Amino acid sequence: MTQLKYLILVSRQGKIRLKKWYTAMSASEKAKIVKDLTPTILARKPKMCNIIEYSDHKVVYKRYASLFFIVGVTSDVDNELLTLEVIHRFVETMDTYFGNVCELDIIFNFNKVYDILNEMIMCDGSIAESSRKEVLHHVTVMDTMESNDNLERVLS
Amino acid sequence: MGSSLRSFIKDVRGAKTLADERAIITKQSAKIRTKLRDDHLPHEKRRVNIQKLLYLYILGEKTHFGQVESINLVASDEFVDKRLGYLAATLLLDESEDLLTLLTNMLNNDLHHPNKYVVSLALTSLGFLSSPELARDLYPDVENIIKNSRDPFLLKKALQCAAKLIFKDDSLLEIFNIEDITRVLSNHSICTHGVLLGITKILQSILLIGLNGNKEEEDGIDYNNDILAPLSLLLREFFVRLENLNSKNIEPGYDVQGICDPFLQCEMIYTLQLYFQVGELLDSKHVLGYKDNFCDLLTRIATNTDSTKNSGQAILYETVKTIFSLNLNQPLRVLGVNILAKFLAGKDNNTKYVSLNTLLKVVPQEPTAVQRHRKFISHCLQDNDVSIRMRALELSFAILDGSNLVELVNELMKFLAKQDEDSKDLIIYTIDHLVDTFDTHVVKDESWKLDVFLNILKLVGPFINYEKINDILIIINNTTKLFDKSNFLQKLLSLSLDGESMEISDDNIGWQLVLVWCIGEYGDLVLNGDNKNNTSSINESSITDYLLNLQECYTTTNHKIINYILTTALKLSIKIFDAKNIEKLRQLILNYADSTDLTLQMKSNQYEIFFNQSLSVKKTILETMPKFEKIAEKSNNVKGSSKNLISNEPIDLLSDLLNEDSKSETKDSTGDNVKPIDILEEIFGEKNDITQPLKRGEEEEKSTNHPTVAITNADVILPSDATKIYDSSSLNVYASLLSVSSGLAHLDLFFQAKSLISDLQTFCAVPKAQKLTLGQLYPSSTIKASQVCKQSLKVSGSGKLKLRIKLDFHLNGSSSTTNEQFDHKFNESL
Repeated sequence: MTQLKYLILVSRQGKIRLKKWYTAMSASEKAKIVKDLTPTILARKPKMCNIIEYSDHKVVYKRYASLFFIVGVTSDVDNELLTLEVIHRFVETMDTYFGNVCELDIIFNFNKVYDILNEMIMCDGSIAESSRKEVLHHVTVMDTMESNDNLERVLS
Repeated sequence: MGSSLRSFIKDVRGAKTLADERAIITKQSAKIRTKLRDDHLPHEKRRVNIQKLLYLYILGEKTHFGQVESINLVASDEFVDKRLGYLAATLLLDESEDLLTLLTNMLNNDLHHPNKYVVSLALTSLGFLSSPELARDLYPDVENIIKNSRDPFLLKKALQCAAKLIFKDDSLLEIFNIEDITRVLSNHSICTHGVLLGITKILQSILLIGLNGNKEEEDGIDYNNDILAPLSLLLREFFVRLENLNSKNIEPGYDVQGICDPFLQCEMIYTLQLYFQVGELLDSKHVLGYKDNFCDLLTRIATNTDSTKNSGQAILYETVKTIFSLNLNQPLRVLGVNILAKFLAGKDNNTKYVSLNTLLKVVPQEPTAVQRHRKFISHCLQDNDVSIRMRALELSFAILDGSNLVELVNELMKFLAKQDEDSKDLIIYTIDHLVDTFDTHVVKDESWKLDVFLNILKLVGPFINYEKINDILIIINNTTKLFDKSNFLQKLLSLSLDGESMEISDDNIGWQLVLVWCIGEYGDLVLNGDNKNNTSSINESSITDYLLNLQECYTTTNHKIINYILTTALKLSIKIFDAKNIEKLRQLILNYADSTDLTLQMKSNQYEIFFNQSLSVKKTILETMPKFEKIAEKSNNVKGSSKNLISNEPIDLLSDLLNEDSKSETKDSTGDNVKPIDILEEIFGEKNDITQPLKRGEEEEKSTNHPTVAITNADVILPSDATKIYDSSSLNVYASLLSVSSGLAHLDLFFQAKSLISDLQTFCAVPKAQKLTLGQLYPSSTIKASQVCKQSLKVSGSGKLKLRIKLDFHLNGSSSTTNEQFDHKFNESL
């Protein structure tokens, strides 16, 4: 099953591109996780397995082009293989939304990325929707509502 | 001036140096701060500022000053404001913030909003930010959506959200109405995959509460009858749905590499696992009646799911985890082990990793089935990925027993041959465990055993720490046949003295220490032995010169080996006959008569005195080391004689026990603590005083520093049939049921420390209808890392066999007491 602790997107240069915490942690704990994990994961060789143990939990990561998707999961409860699928689903969904997503899309449209993510994963990091189509449909409807709001304001 | 979010991001990215970047960020941050304070700022500008703030959040900057403003945006009537406001609130706030109370009202309003997307935003945010207070206040509003909405989009979110709220405040279980779920589940038009995911989450929350809490006594809810019984009515429907999903081939939209919605399948399997865990815990007929159906379903999933793709493997993995966490019947367990073995045979490192990890956990449950796949496990020892190698190594030792010892040790030798400095941890781990293995398993072929150590020293000698060298020396010393020992030394010498051979590098300290020690002990065997003829290079002079050379190399750099050389020089002096060589050895010893190292200086002077004694005196003093008795065997006897100390006080009531002032347990912490020094003296006898100053010194050091540790040297072995009943960061607890008859059960508990545990006290409780007699902790209440301590329990009475165990101990020598408590239920009853 899926119960993510956090999701962090890091570029190959070690820059944070996105982060989302699904469990309450103090600011210093969060900072430590980011500080510890980034170099560890960047240093791993391509053929190594995508699961590492860190502090009291496990970390599943996957590299897509220049970005590393890093996910903290709960030991013994989470299914690490499924976590890889969750990451992949998220990437696929972004790919359809942006049309061949690249790192720059994520940097400049991070709030859209959050919108997509929040449709997929809710509460304590549990998966809420497994259909890519369903997620995209609702995100685009909300996008339209936003632009309608803007339009009305201009007209009034 | 760049005022848009885009230009801000561009500026930050365009910064040439870190200092530039910092300057841009600080400036912008200050600007946002002032802007947000301006009450007359138009909404559009506010949004831009909050967006910039979120970018700062991602960069890891301080953002607390925007918290209130994001709540203000939520209050706006415009959707665009609300959407950004909720996003900002969920990122910038967390469950612990007091500010959350400000959100309560807005969330309440938005949960009743006519626009479903506003409702969905509120549900999502409440799911992220639910403090217990928010959970109590807003649960009725969420429940209202579950009851009345027909929109799958809202339903799935409301269910997810309700699951979190119930988990946050379990008193909500009283209000929760299972019929809401049943209704949704039976209405096929609204029960989409997303809604089903929501249902699994809410069931998981409820079942986890049943698993963790003791609801019976608290709020008048009878969990078993009021909650679990109606919940069990959903089981049949769940089975059907899961079976359909699993056998479905193509479902566009939910397909992952030919597997239909692995996310939902895994969630469903996990939910069912929780059902049966709670069912077992509460002994619920309602649930357990379905157990056979569940086993059948799991068998079908395990056999029918395509195991070639990651998505299918994820489902199989979830299935295997369920089989072992419920310890289902043996055919299923074997099937589970076989699935994991198939993972090992594949190419993907992630599946190998999870497989090894899981196999390691299930070895106690299904040891022979795991052993059958040792070929694959050994194969993983050669993997390029160090984390795979580490796990394969752990697993190799976990399955090692008398029947496969030789084969596995040979595999481990192959493994060691390929390691280099980068995997030093792995090497040390292997040596530690190999030494332990030879301690606990009787190996008939001792010459093979010595060959193993010869190989170890050859391959990884430089990495072995001194403590383990001592252990290896003990093993060599305790070898029964002199012939094997001399053969061993012969091999060591011929590799070292043969100038051609490059096998032994100069920095192989481990090798040299062992060689030096062996020369001192068994030099005569090689020099006068029968197999002298073919070893021309080994003679008195070459050995003496070897010692001299070695001594010169390490004069200042390594005093440990000099210590060994001095003792060996003394011992060797009575084993050789050539006066010239004997004089060389004397000179060697004298070299250190004025050493700045006090021990060396002392040794040198004392040895010099010995040296001048007559040969007969020297011979008695410098006799070969006696067999090094296992200290543990000694303490066994002590235990036998102290059996009558075992407490007979029956302990029945939980309340009695969990009081700190328990009477029976405090005794045993001192009960069989044997005075370690006595035993050492016994073993070495008075002879020891002079014969082996070196050895004795070490032993004494050990015994004074860690009196209890020295004595409990790994003499309790975890039996292979013990099941793990508890696992925490500091220790594992295993239980092994020795006998169960009507009215009486005997069992052993094993505590395996993960790091040093001292003053362990155990408090045990059984149900009211039973009586418990608790034995002593054996061998002691102090357990070194990875070692095991045992306690026997006798339970009499009637009913299911259940234990509540509370542990008090000091971790890593710290003065504060650590408490841990857990429950365990056995399948057997009295």
